Amino acid sequence: QNKQPSVAGSDEQITVFHDKDNFNVKHPLMHKWTLWFTKPPSGKGDNWNDLLKEVITFNSVEEFWGVYNNIAPTGELALKSDYHLFKEGVRPEWEDIQNKHGGKWSYQFREKKNVPIDELWLHIMLAAIGETLEDETDGEVMGVVVNVRKGFYRIGVWTRTIGKSIPNGGDGDVAGGKGRTQEKGKEVLMNIGKKFKEVLKLPPSETVEFSGHTDSAHSGSTRAKAKFTI
Amino acid sequence: APLNTKPVEPPQPSAALQSLKSARFLSAINPALYPTNISSPNPALNSAVAAKGKSFKYDKEFLLQFQKVFVEKPSMEFESQIKALIGDGDGGSARSASAR
Repeated sequence: QNKQPSVAGSDEQITVFHDKDNFNVKHPLMHKWTLWFTKPPSGKGDNWNDLLKEVITFNSVEEFWGVYNNIAPTGELALKSDYHLFKEGVRPEWEDIQNKHGGKWSYQFREKKNVPIDELWLHIMLAAIGETLEDETDGEVMGVVVNVRKGFYRIGVWTRTIGKSIPNGGDGDVAGGKGRTQEKGKEVLMNIGKKFKEVLKLPPSETVEFSGHTDSAHSGSTRAKAKFTI
Repeated sequence: APLNTKPVEPPQPSAALQSLKSARFLSAINPALYPTNISSPNPALNSAVAAKGKSFKYDKEFLLQFQKVFVEKPSMEFESQIKALIGDGDGGSARSASAR
């Protein structure tokens, strides 16, 4: 049954707020985003590629909520699970060509019981899809991630670079480009870090850390020496 | 009256899901579009680039208003996909996973 707007002509814009079942316009996101899920290992020598699963790709505010409202909240996930929300076409792995010169801001919440992790993860996702983690021309944010572990939750924001130019990054004043000074590259990352800390509602006494992915890979641990802190 | 010989039909998408699929993308942010009880996206977020064209930055407060409004699954198959991928959210696999 096709309802037509009865009063005005067919140009009338009806949002989901006017009629949640019969709306005719939706809110675009600036990027398409893909939600990924890491299944906990079964302990039978799983291949990482079998554990990292693509859930869905979406490009509207309305569809984001359809996804969020119908998946398990972070607080109900099994240990060793992750959610990753990344720009379409970027695998949430260090090895992805778009990540391998980059890094991440991250913070571990060690008081698992007292942390409103569902709300914090939601807010960092909203900052990502609403494009408020960085400025229009920064071009750094690749995605956000939450890890569920035995002793902590960890939330992270992955960036394209570590504030330096990267191979094939071009000549422009863009993330990884030769036209962006190291000074500006660092400033862009620091601003993302400040915003990250603000979204997570951390007090000034707490510190968020930035580290490069390859530093992490070479040290054989995700707890590499922090490159920047805020 | 016409005979009603209804064949057995597969489940139909809900009205909300049909609207999600058929709705057009807004071409610009228009603060006048919203019902009076809804706050429009923070204009300060988009003003810097408004001159250059399309900007769709949304603040948290604006986005949270959708939370209770669009609750439909994003596809007919979503529920079964999620069960296969993530499980029922009972944390069952946590117990079987080896605690290294």
